Amino acid sequence: MCNEDIRYICALEDEFPEKLKGIPTPPQGIYVKGRLPDPGKKTVSIIGSRNNSEYGRGVAEYFAKELSKNGVQIVSGMARGIDGISQSAALAAGGSSFGILGCGIDVVYPPENRRLYEIILEKGGIISEYPPGMSPRASLFPQRNRIISALSDILLVIEARQKSGTSITVRCALDQGRDVFAVPGRITDPLSHGCNKLIADGAGIATCPGDILEALGLIKCGKNKHRKISLKKFTNLSEKQLKIIRYLDYNPININEIAYKTGYDLSDLTLELLKLELKGCVEKAGQGFYILKMNT
Amino acid sequence: MFSSVHSLALHGLEVREVSVEADIAEGGLPVFEMVGFLGSEIKESKDRIRTALRNCGFYLPPKRITVNLSPADMRKTGSHFDLPVAVSLLRSMGIITESTDDTVFAGELSLSGKISKVTGILPMAIKAHELNYKRFIVPKENAAEGGAVDGIEVIGVSDIDEVIRFLNKDIVIDPRRIDVEELINTKKLYSADFSEIKGQKAARRAIEVAASGMHNILLTGPPGGGKSMMAKCIPSILPDLTKDECMEITGIHSIAGILGSEGLVTKRPFISPHHTVSRQALSGGGGIPKPGDVSLAHRGVLFLDEFPEFARSTIEILRQPMEDREIHISRASGNYTFPANFLLAAAMNPCKCGYYPDKKCTCSETSIKKYLSGISGPILDRIDIVCNVEGLSFEDLNSDETSGEDSATIRGRVTDTFEIQKKRFKDMRINFNSEMSTKDIRVFCELGEKEEELFKESFEILNLSARGYHRILRCARTIADMDHSDRISCVHLSEAIGYRSAYRGLWNV
Repeated sequence: MCNEDIRYICALEDEFPEKLKGIPTPPQGIYVKGRLPDPGKKTVSIIGSRNNSEYGRGVAEYFAKELSKNGVQIVSGMARGIDGISQSAALAAGGSSFGILGCGIDVVYPPENRRLYEIILEKGGIISEYPPGMSPRASLFPQRNRIISALSDILLVIEARQKSGTSITVRCALDQGRDVFAVPGRITDPLSHGCNKLIADGAGIATCPGDILEALGLIKCGKNKHRKISLKKFTNLSEKQLKIIRYLDYNPININEIAYKTGYDLSDLTLELLKLELKGCVEKAGQGFYILKMNT
Repeated sequence: MFSSVHSLALHGLEVREVSVEADIAEGGLPVFEMVGFLGSEIKESKDRIRTALRNCGFYLPPKRITVNLSPADMRKTGSHFDLPVAVSLLRSMGIITESTDDTVFAGELSLSGKISKVTGILPMAIKAHELNYKRFIVPKENAAEGGAVDGIEVIGVSDIDEVIRFLNKDIVIDPRRIDVEELINTKKLYSADFSEIKGQKAARRAIEVAASGMHNILLTGPPGGGKSMMAKCIPSILPDLTKDECMEITGIHSIAGILGSEGLVTKRPFISPHHTVSRQALSGGGGIPKPGDVSLAHRGVLFLDEFPEFARSTIEILRQPMEDREIHISRASGNYTFPANFLLAAAMNPCKCGYYPDKKCTCSETSIKKYLSGISGPILDRIDIVCNVEGLSFEDLNSDETSGEDSATIRGRVTDTFEIQKKRFKDMRINFNSEMSTKDIRVFCELGEKEEELFKESFEILNLSARGYHRILRCARTIADMDHSDRISCVHLSEAIGYRSAYRGLWNV
């Protein structure tokens, strides 16, 4: 191997992940940069649309963070959208994450995820079936999806359209006997059609990270403390700020609308929103729009 | 017989004296020759003048006629030399008998002998007055423009015959006088007024802040939200022009040849080039450059709609004028400096489909990033205020809710803020908060303890850059001024921070 960091692990070697051995059409071997997932730890794949909504971003970050805090490893495809977002969030929360690529292991695709690639190498690993230097090709991605699902205990779908690459991964997971969970969404939202369909077909419903932790056996049934995103955590907020928070949502809301609903003066409102932003309760999504931060 | 009359030549924004000499000599073959480093429009004037004179009943004699425009080493362009050449010939022919030593001429001839309008009359009139001429004979249509200059008689004429009779003292024409102050103070109709805009509280406020401190502003928002409409309102809330400003702007517009029939520019200009505009059209161009859009927008608003659609190289041209408030153009014929002190208002959609961050948006994060990266960092750096103009719903449009204040009320407040700044920068080279250098910011934008703390925290958590630091302070100073407050408070500061350009990860500067 030209680069010492890259190892090739043959399917016959002991080190080869057990989870990959039992699946239909297992890879003959894998290239690894960094380390392999810890077999003693639970693993969840978080996947979803590349064209995620702001809401989807928040949900992905929230699930990835909470799961990481409970020692779960996050596996995904390092793609644009939900994949990359959940991996970044998991790493930021101090967890570990593994990227499964549909190209050579030394090729960063998409290129804007270079920073993520580097952090994953530090705190996890990159895995690919394909030899180093191989450029990304559309036909390779469905193949790599079977490795994503195989490495996980649970496959979690955040946002997906009816027809998408996500459905391929889901099919693989079912063939491999992995549990599939989906985050439900509005019936009018095209980005939730895929998820809602999965639920209709019998997938688990993920309304909070606790649902996943419960299914993984990390918390006891009925002891789910992660049931709700509660406002109670905002302990040191003023009356005004609480009122503003009440009108905010996980979808972006225009400042004019907030002003109208709360009845506050624009300049006052800007100050309070800034304070909330500094406290990490809200976030600016585009100019003049505010969004509630999910994982507070 | 030899004769000489006076005229003026335009050289960029500068006006130079030119004397037009004509000589009609006996002997040799009959020719009509014009010399003196002439542009082709002047060389062609030979035929115009000969025909115009004949149609007025004066035949050029079949002799050796030579016309020289001196100084001969300066290239001359423009069609306004027709009249001085014709007058010079008529004097040589003995038809005009009175002296024209204290008179300057400018005007273009048509074949019928009528005198049609030309460009650059106002700067010429100013120069003629400086050179102590008593009279300036101009086309009738340009008389109003020239009449704005005190101390020189500006006479508007409509044809050659009138000129001859006037110079020979057969008739009297009263000089045209324009009272600039009165013209400025008369009520003006702006193309758009803030009273026509419903809702949009946040955007209205942002525009008022921008106008008060002459901060450059970028309006983002979905299509049809009224970005262009709001931008059009900006001139209507800027303070009225002073007499000096009026003369300055009129001079530039006169040279560019875009002066309307009213003769003077009494409203702040609003220049809105299409996004296909060439670099030369924006900066000013030509062999002897004419002012471009940045100069035409001097003391007014330069509005660039669909900002990311402009060629990048075109937008980058704005960097120097936005910094220096003037533009330097170098050509083979020399170096030219045109004033370019404008308020830049730009408008754009937040993404390709136009609806981000609304749920209607169909763009991926990548395509949004790609779209936004069309605006370069250095240009964003020079824009102090970024503000969203939201889309309106049917209810908004249909509501009976009284529309907001009208422009005149807002203009009153903006004028007050202008005064405060004038006082502050009394002995300095700058006029507005937006022009403060980092040194000035240290002096004029001192923060209290509480504000310092808020700013420091924002800086760290919101990941602001050093460039952002100064922009926020400049803007906060204006907001405090609007409040008639000497010190910048937390409310002022937070509003300024709210105007920073923030699109997740990309524009956080």
